[in-house]
Amino acid sequence: MNRHHRFRTTGLIAAGVMTGILAACGSNPPQDTACMLPEGPNLDRAISQSRFDLKTGCEHRFDSYFKRLLSIAEGDPKPENKASFSEFLIWANEEGLLSKRQARETYNRYFGIKYVSLIGDYSVCTQTCPQQSEVMRDMDRELADKEQGLLKISADRRSYHRASRLYQEAELVLEATCEACGPAE
Amino acid sequence: MTTRFRVSTITTRLTGLLIAGYLLAIPINAISASQAPTIRLFPTTVLEEIRHTGTVAKDMETGLQAVIVRLDEQQQLYIESKCEGNEGDPGCERIARQLGKSYLEMLDIMSASLPEMEAAVNSTSSSLEKRIRKELGHKKTPWSLQELLLNQESQRGNGERPALRGRSGMRLSDRFNQYYQLVARSGGQVNSSLAVIAADIYLDMQETSSLIARTREEIGRATLMEQLNQSFGTITPEMQEVVAGVKAILFGESEEFIPMAPPPAGPASLEYESPLQL
Repeated sequence: MNRHHRFRTTGLIAAGVMTGILAACGSNPPQDTACMLPEGPNLDRAISQSRFDLKTGCEHRFDSYFKRLLSIAEGDPKPENKASFSEFLIWANEEGLLSKRQARETYNRYFGIKYVSLIGDYSVCTQTCPQQSEVMRDMDRELADKEQGLLKISADRRSYHRASRLYQEAELVLEATCEACGPAE
Repeated sequence: MTTRFRVSTITTRLTGLLIAGYLLAIPINAISASQAPTIRLFPTTVLEEIRHTGTVAKDMETGLQAVIVRLDEQQQLYIESKCEGNEGDPGCERIARQLGKSYLEMLDIMSASLPEMEAAVNSTSSSLEKRIRKELGHKKTPWSLQELLLNQESQRGNGERPALRGRSGMRLSDRFNQYYQLVARSGGQVNSSLAVIAADIYLDMQETSSLIARTREEIGRATLMEQLNQSFGTITPEMQEVVAGVKAILFGESEEFIPMAPPPAGPASLEYESPLQL
């Protein structure tokens, strides 16, 4: 009787441990397999997979997933891709993966004409001129991102041309303005 | 030789700077004043200074034109008389001395005209500097500045925008005349595209002023060298380069002008607008 009871207890403990292990695997799957970046040329499928992964323990790899999605979208450039990325970033904000500001800035960095590198509330003389070369470097990098987002992903040559033109004009006007502002105030 | 070469180099660079024709493509009528924010970059005083600089440039051109023509003729005669490589010939020496005299005369005229030109350019540059500092440097944030630029682009329409810091073989006086016409024809109304024009003129004036100052210094040395060379009756390639440089200032440069490609056509109204759009 005692022996039978001991077997039953041991069996229950073992079953409990196994259930625990399986449950743990379900919520925190090993990263090698669960956080595999999406493959294949289909953007919608890649976005679906990314959403699932990012909701189930891979949120720390958001940037990698986003970059992979950009890369997949390059394989099939079309204007509709803008909407897909916009929806994805809105979803990421709703899921708490990104703040609203981060979502806006990320979208505009790749798919907007204006430069998030130029966001600022103080005057050009005060804010931009003391770090003019740094601002221009940021804009330069952002132009490369716009090339990817607008040109290579959205096939929107017109918007990319406007962004590129804006870069040139901003560079010229900032150069003159900072020269006129004189040494840092 | 070295001094002449330096004058030549500077003159060539000055020419490059002075002969930008980026105002040709600006459609005055396309600029709508009604929607742009208020910026006052070109008050009447600045306009007057631009006009005055144009007049001074015109006077300099007029003063130099006769001596340039003479230099051309003398150089032609020197070549036709097969004087190159035959410098010991008395006839060739005489032509070379005459050419040298004309060259000195040209340097004298430039030396006399440049101070006024420099003063006019500096004055325009200083006035523009104050306006740019106030209107763009202090009144604008980096974000509102780019909105201003983007706004001006949509007002101008597709493919109609100034070619920035380009060159089109334009006379110095014509260029200032175009500056004046462009700014004056806006009638003092609000016009955000003037931000780009003001920036361009201002930077151009800064460089021009610096190069005029350096050219003035070098002309003194070149004059001395040529006075020494007069006793030998020779002309040098450097002298020809200087003359060519000055001619370029007067008559415009023939460097290849590559305009920026117009934006690709596309249905602007069908563009996707994200709720995230800034």
